[in-house]
Amino acid sequence: MIELHAVRKVFNAGRSNEFVALDGISVGIESARVTVLKGPSGSGKTTLLSLLGCMARPTSGRILFQGREITSLPERFLTEIRRRSFGFIFQQFHLIKGVTVLENVMFPAYPLGIAHRVLKQKAEGLLEMFGIGAKAQSRVEWLSGGESQRVAIARALINDPEVIIADEPTAHLDSKLSKELMEFVRQMRSDGKTILVASHDPIVFEADVVDRVIEMRDGQIRDRG
Amino acid sequence: MKHFLERHRNILDFTVSSLLRRKAKNLALIVVYTFVVFLVASVVFLVSAIRREAALVLAKAPEIVVQRLVAGRHDYIPLDYADSIKEIKGVQNVKGRLWGYYFDPTTSANYTLMVSENPAIPSGSIIVGRGVARGLLAKENGAIPFKTYDGSYVFLKIKEILDADLEIVSSDLILLCEGDFKRIFRTLDGLATDLVLEVRNHRELTTIATKITQLFPDTRPVLRDEILRTYDAVFDWRGGLCIVVLSGAILGFIILVWDKATGLSAEEKREIGILKGIGWETSDILLTKFWEGAVISLSSFFLGVILAYAHVFMSGFVLFEPAIKGWSVLYPRFSLTPAFGFYQVSTLFFLTVVPYTLTTIIPSWRAATIDPDMVMRS
Repeated sequence: MIELHAVRKVFNAGRSNEFVALDGISVGIESARVTVLKGPSGSGKTTLLSLLGCMARPTSGRILFQGREITSLPERFLTEIRRRSFGFIFQQFHLIKGVTVLENVMFPAYPLGIAHRVLKQKAEGLLEMFGIGAKAQSRVEWLSGGESQRVAIARALINDPEVIIADEPTAHLDSKLSKELMEFVRQMRSDGKTILVASHDPIVFEADVVDRVIEMRDGQIRDRG
Repeated sequence: MKHFLERHRNILDFTVSSLLRRKAKNLALIVVYTFVVFLVASVVFLVSAIRREAALVLAKAPEIVVQRLVAGRHDYIPLDYADSIKEIKGVQNVKGRLWGYYFDPTTSANYTLMVSENPAIPSGSIIVGRGVARGLLAKENGAIPFKTYDGSYVFLKIKEILDADLEIVSSDLILLCEGDFKRIFRTLDGLATDLVLEVRNHRELTTIATKITQLFPDTRPVLRDEILRTYDAVFDWRGGLCIVVLSGAILGFIILVWDKATGLSAEEKREIGILKGIGWETSDILLTKFWEGAVISLSSFFLGVILAYAHVFMSGFVLFEPAIKGWSVLYPRFSLTPAFGFYQVSTLFFLTVVPYTLTTIIPSWRAATIDPDMVMRS
């Protein structure tokens, strides 16, 4: 589904603080499977996720999404692919404070021009599915960690993407909530979603729902899983 | 089209929720912004209405006034000059006027005393402007004492008080008969303060003025258009002066806009990062910020303009009264007829709304062009 060929990502190229985050990565990600990128901090997991999720472009190398080269696409097209095909769950969930849970879930679909009523129904359905329908009108800052996590997942699913990308989703969760998250991952996998997770949490990479673990270190792949 | 409208509706929804989230900050911004628009709009409306008022009143003024100059100063003009001027082709009528200034120490005000033939005023009576009546707390049939040139006093009875409609130019005016005028000022017979001319053809005014100066090189003909231009200049200057005085408030506003222009709060930047991360384009974010700026600036603009309208045309422009109406003690009291057009309102709009909206777009554009993966790193 996603293929990387000799991908390199360099930050601050040509300056004294030049940093090679990814160095010659070639890997393929299969659809409808759960793939975990495992590795210590600074190993390049998040950078790789950004490239896979069309959030950034590589310094060199090629990325193909569903057989289509996306490396050189202008920002507009890249954004279009990102919002239609990818859903993101960020490390700190990154919900927008001061607005309701419902609105937070709806935000990724706003630029798509979907009728507000339809969008609202869809968001409410997702919140019900994750058991937080009653919190739809609450402001996000009043939520517990577990509730915030579910809102972040609902938001990632609002545009019905094929791929869900989660960066260290358990970093701010206790073991119980981390296991609960993996159950949601199982649910999404059974719905046919491709799930890509970056994590160094054993609860994640040792979970039986995970199909493949790719081990990274110093910007390179050590074990393809 | 439906998709386009829905997208805009959704983005507007986000804008409104975004404005409400920063309620206190935005409200403070609207208050300051409205105040600045109110001040500038008040001056613009006021100057424009007063100029119109003055033009209307001056429309009835003589077309040419001839004054005599002695050593560069205005002096009495012999009435026999009138006979020669009447001979100039195109001059319909020439009349001598007697007028002067009178300082009243009790009110510390200067009055303009003028001899009136039409309406004819009987000896011992006067017709006064509203400002004079107010200043002296006098009513019709009340008597006003005038100190004459030799130190004695003459008491003149108020026969009538002039209409409020004329107050802008007649506030300090006292009309009296020639005999009383001469008793107060000791004017010699055969002399007038100036001569007023009626001319048949308006286009001949300049030619007639030139002929008068050729005939009497010691005179100065003043055209009505010149007086109008002077009025315009004076009110423009006073309006400008008000703006200078208000520049403190305007400076405060510029600082506020500059503050907004040079950076967004960390919270706003974080939000922009999240929106980009979840699939918003740079143009979507710019549209949001544009609407935010437009809502704030347009609401402040309309609010400021409405308040200024009420201030100038309904409350008698209490804030700027002394500066605009005159430096005299006798401020005329009158209500202005609204007189402003597209030009004034659009100037105000371009001076306030456009710069604000643009300055808020720049920092947003800077923040909106960050790579979406920044949200993954924060």
